[in-house]
Amino acid sequence: MVSSIVIAHLDLDAFFAAVEELEHPELRGKPLVVGGDPKGRGVVATANYAARRFGIRSAMSSAEALRRCPAVVFVPPHMALYVEYSRAVWRTVREVVPVVEQVGIDEGYLELTSVDPDPRKARALAEAVQAAVRASTSLSCSLGVASCKVVAKVASDRRKPGGLTVVPPGKEAAFLAPLDVRALPGIGPRAEERLLASGITTVGALAALDDDALRGLIGGKVGAMLRDRARGIDPRPLETSVERISIGHEETFERDITDRAVLYAELRRMSARVAVRLATRGDAARTVTTKVRYPDFSIRSRSVTLPAGIDSADEIAEHACSLLDRALGDRPGALRLVGVSVSSLEPFRQLPLA
Amino acid sequence: MMDTEVETAVGDLRVTVSRDELAQKLGIVARGVSSRTAVQILSGILLRSEGGQLHLAATDMELSLRASLPANVESEGSVVVQGKILVDLVRQLPGNDVVIEHGAEDGVLKITSGASRSQINTFAAADFPRLPELDVQLHSLKAGAVLETIGRVRRAASRDESRPVLTGILVRFEPGKLVMAATDSYRLSVKETAIEDQLPELEAIVPARALEELQRIAAGAEMLELGVRENQVIFGADGVWLTTRRIDGQFPNYKQLLPDTFEHVVALNRLEVLDVVRRTSVLAQRNSPLRLRFAEGELVISSQTQDVGESRESLPIQYVGEPLEIGFNAEFLRDGLDSVEGDEVTINLISPLRPGLLKGGNGDFWYLIMPIRLAG
Repeated sequence: MVSSIVIAHLDLDAFFAAVEELEHPELRGKPLVVGGDPKGRGVVATANYAARRFGIRSAMSSAEALRRCPAVVFVPPHMALYVEYSRAVWRTVREVVPVVEQVGIDEGYLELTSVDPDPRKARALAEAVQAAVRASTSLSCSLGVASCKVVAKVASDRRKPGGLTVVPPGKEAAFLAPLDVRALPGIGPRAEERLLASGITTVGALAALDDDALRGLIGGKVGAMLRDRARGIDPRPLETSVERISIGHEETFERDITDRAVLYAELRRMSARVAVRLATRGDAARTVTTKVRYPDFSIRSRSVTLPAGIDSADEIAEHACSLLDRALGDRPGALRLVGVSVSSLEPFRQLPLA
Repeated sequence: MMDTEVETAVGDLRVTVSRDELAQKLGIVARGVSSRTAVQILSGILLRSEGGQLHLAATDMELSLRASLPANVESEGSVVVQGKILVDLVRQLPGNDVVIEHGAEDGVLKITSGASRSQINTFAAADFPRLPELDVQLHSLKAGAVLETIGRVRRAASRDESRPVLTGILVRFEPGKLVMAATDSYRLSVKETAIEDQLPELEAIVPARALEELQRIAAGAEMLELGVRENQVIFGADGVWLTTRRIDGQFPNYKQLLPDTFEHVVALNRLEVLDVVRRTSVLAQRNSPLRLRFAEGELVISSQTQDVGESRESLPIQYVGEPLEIGFNAEFLRDGLDSVEGDEVTINLISPLRPGLLKGGNGDFWYLIMPIRLAG
């Protein structure tokens, strides 16, 4: 039986770079990277499509990006600006399709059948979303339309930028089959390595594995789940009730830092910026998360969820610093990045006794 | 009674006890068993037979519970077994008597009752943590006053371990009265209770959890024994002993937190307003505030949770002046109205961002509650 639900995955095209191009018309069409300083240890957050033609990709070091394209323009990220654009985008999207699970600042799932149960109307609806986003924000997005999340997400990545890919019901597995295994969400570098080593190069080959062969490569529930996804089966519903919005800042250092006082100072500075953004929204946050990155690029994060929301820079910083202590207690070492974010936002604040 | 002769060696434990008494005392002591399983032996109950008694003990290193029951002791020894298993088993044993035996060299505790025979793997008694000594000067006092005072303040204590001092209740004996205070930094409750017992002046921050345990073990007791050590407090009731560590640190100066004057004093029928608050709370999900709007002649209490729904109800009040709208956490407000007790409650307010104070008719209880800042 074919599922009657139709989901679209929406992904904004080169979002940070697109916002910068909008804000700075003189940069339009030039190779552009939003990210850290190429003279230090910055990394590429987003590259526009002109820069991508030189092989520049997200997460690449800025220095490498500069080598690949000496003419590339570097712009430091302006998160507050991106948040503003993002909010405008999702406001617009919700006007067309109200049932939305936003999974990040620049992507999310839309339940198209919540607007019209007729799955044949899905393409027109997706086109309407695309047009509305372009009209209200001048931003371009790509959409994938399918009967489940994983296929919709893979489809949205097929024809970027400005693309729309509709996978008809019943054709999910056939659509995924020829793609490289790495294109399947959930396949990380290690799983990919193991699959490739066994000659499993396409999603179709993963889908065709029998139980024994699968167990030998990726065991347990994860293996079964990934093979299901490879077959175009993904029962995850949209999580629309959970407010997933988080507000955060992070900073990659010029050099690795061990001095706890310096790290505290960084966290306090970032906490102040987080507090300003909370205040702009008029919200308080119940969860504080501190993220650290070690010189080997591995990441740890520690969170605390409080009985009542907080919104002051000092309170956020106090928790951020003790979470840093916890992270460094669990794994000591120099850090190349620290970040603080808040989530579980509430539009009201329980005041403390003073 | 078993009629077979059994050879016993030094250190063997062999007793016969009443099943009901054992089950009851185990039920008390088992609450001291650690829920954290990192240290296995803390999940155990220590059994020790000595001088015509079977002694039971459990500890999670913060608090300990000890109880004893009369036993026909054939051999004196001690052993530790998993608390939960022992409790679950004893509760269901078929006979009126239970025979408990453990050979000093054995790895099991044998439990026999009627036709039921079980054996439970043991831990070595020598590995069980040393419990705080009870040889301290004890003071006797009426249990009722202490338990009532705990019951009135305990809900305001914090459950958040990140500020340990707030997980405790401040207990202070002054001449002629017992004072307890608790706060989780959003609300504060203070109760003063007159006592006749002669006690030296004492002050300690005692974990709220331990005092809640005391409420249970002393529920039927007339008198309590109290002893205070540098870092322990000891309570005795009906032959059960509870020791708890004292919390180090500075308890907030609560007198400073209580405002001197208020703009509005509104008297309400306590149970009436509590009912309204309970009903409207249903639609104050996910920490959403209850809104209290005071206006001439009317208090409107309302709640709203996005994507869930809303509720409102009004009740007549005596109020003069400009209307005032203030938000409170529904649970905090309910706790406060519950704790006040009596027929009447007064709500004392200053402004929407200043604390509100709930008081009862007697003037011996204060529940201070900080508002929720409302959006818009």
